[in-house]
Amino acid sequence: MIRTNELGFAYSPERFAVRGLTFSVHRGEVFGLLGRNGAGKTTTVRLLTTLLPPTEGEAFLFDTPLRQAGRAERRRLGVVLQSESLDFVSVERNLTLYAFLWGVPREVAKSRAEEMLEMFELEPVRERKPWGLSGGERRRFQVARELMHDMELLFLDEPTVGLDALTRRRILDYLGSRARDGLSIVFTTHILQEADQLCDRIGVLQAGRIRAMGPPSEIKRHYRGARAVEAEFERSLSEVERAELGRLLAARGTGLAILSNDRGVLTFRATNAEDLVAELSRWAHAADLDLVRISVRETTLEEAFVTLVSEDATDDPATPEGPT
Amino acid sequence: MKIPPVVRLVVRNFAATLDPITLLVMFGQPAFLIVILGTMFNQLIPSVGASGSYVAYLVPGMIASQMITGAVLAGRIFWLDRRWAMVEQIFSGPFLRAEYLAALLLTALLFSLVGVGIMVLVALPLIGVTPLSAFEILGILGTIALGSLFFGGLLIAIGGRIRSANLYFTIQSLLQYFLIFISTVYYPVTAKTPFVLRAIVYANPLTYAANTVRDAFTHSFGPGDLVAAAILTGLAAVTFSLAVLSFRTLEMGPVQ
Repeated sequence: MIRTNELGFAYSPERFAVRGLTFSVHRGEVFGLLGRNGAGKTTTVRLLTTLLPPTEGEAFLFDTPLRQAGRAERRRLGVVLQSESLDFVSVERNLTLYAFLWGVPREVAKSRAEEMLEMFELEPVRERKPWGLSGGERRRFQVARELMHDMELLFLDEPTVGLDALTRRRILDYLGSRARDGLSIVFTTHILQEADQLCDRIGVLQAGRIRAMGPPSEIKRHYRGARAVEAEFERSLSEVERAELGRLLAARGTGLAILSNDRGVLTFRATNAEDLVAELSRWAHAADLDLVRISVRETTLEEAFVTLVSEDATDDPATPEGPT
Repeated sequence: MKIPPVVRLVVRNFAATLDPITLLVMFGQPAFLIVILGTMFNQLIPSVGASGSYVAYLVPGMIASQMITGAVLAGRIFWLDRRWAMVEQIFSGPFLRAEYLAALLLTALLFSLVGVGIMVLVALPLIGVTPLSAFEILGILGTIALGSLFFGGLLIAIGGRIRSANLYFTIQSLLQYFLIFISTVYYPVTAKTPFVLRAIVYANPLTYAANTVRDAFTHSFGPGDLVAAAILTGLAAVTFSLAVLSFRTLEMGPVQ
């Protein structure tokens, strides 16, 4: 669907927005572009949807060089841009008018509009003009409108901004089901849970470059950083025991932060959490204390992202790295 | 049946833009002027050249000014499309920039022609039926087409360079009033007209359009109208080129 090789866009020779983008998106794949505000996500989407001409590198959209891609390739795309776009007619008319623009037959457009109004919970506002909708309704409307026509590859630039958790999940579930039916999706977000939920692979963009790429699980494993451990003992620890345990963890732990140590429950974070769990078990056994429960919380993508971005803040940004 | 992209865009332009209030303002105002201005000044001005009555003089002018009405609509659509990101949305779809530009200009032309029809209907009770030859009708329509292209191209070229709604609509209003009032739409230019004003009036393309339409109504097409058509064609080519240039270098992204 998409192949890029060292793709870049520069406003001037000294000022690039994105550079050295090398990745591909396959049929039926959901590819997430993750990054902070200004990382280059929107520029990447604009490049790949032919709204911006690349200034360096090359890319292929449906096997056509991006610089030569035109109407035929765009006909196979769906694009939900970050900026809200609308016509000055009702929500329902916007949907059917957009379908008309795309050459969708009237009857198909009508039934699809009903489907979208229901799917995106826009039924109650179907007669309203889009600018009178709430922020969340407008965002739902944007996604719904784009799904009025057929496509093979859908670009979604921050589609869930301003949506409540329930609606966000509903939309992501729907997009997930479309992806399972073969729709390829390029999805930009800075909400990391979303990327974790929806994407098969993600590329982490920072300062216009891809810093890491791979399935969310690999990114998390590779950049997991500190993890939280919670241990519950059979009874409250004495002052002496607490101090002894604190000294042990301080001596063996790296990046240690004790979050709480009270009433027999100890919570701490460390980058070598597994090692400390073993140490903790040995200490409890030696102290003749039963451990009722011990858990290591899995790293979230957000934690991995923060670690990655923090590491990269001091790195030379020349080479993409991480799992691919 | 597969509808060509330009036609789809034109239909969308009309469907998305035309609400009763817009129609009332855009067509109601010139219609109101024909009725009120025509009737009132008719009492003061006994006759105006070959047109005869003042209202008969005014009607062709108002018809010619419809080219501005259509162009203003096209400029407004373009600006709103930029403001509400529909330009980007359309350009990321199965359309060429050239098609979008063509659709805007076609929208301007069609809207102008609808305006011409409305002005003729409004004027009927005041000046009666004016039988026109096919050549004269063609002359009027050609003038309106060239004028729409000129003003439409101009407003689109300006709209593509400006990133502020306030500035765009201020320029548009100023241009609209300047062009209409410093032309021969409402009053003739004679030897008694101060030289500076006369020079400005004849630098205004609307003057040539109004004179040509008026000549059609008075069955007095002459070499001057050929010159007017040539001037309008040249100017339309210039502003069309500017609009194309503006599109080619159009910066997308947020405007205010």
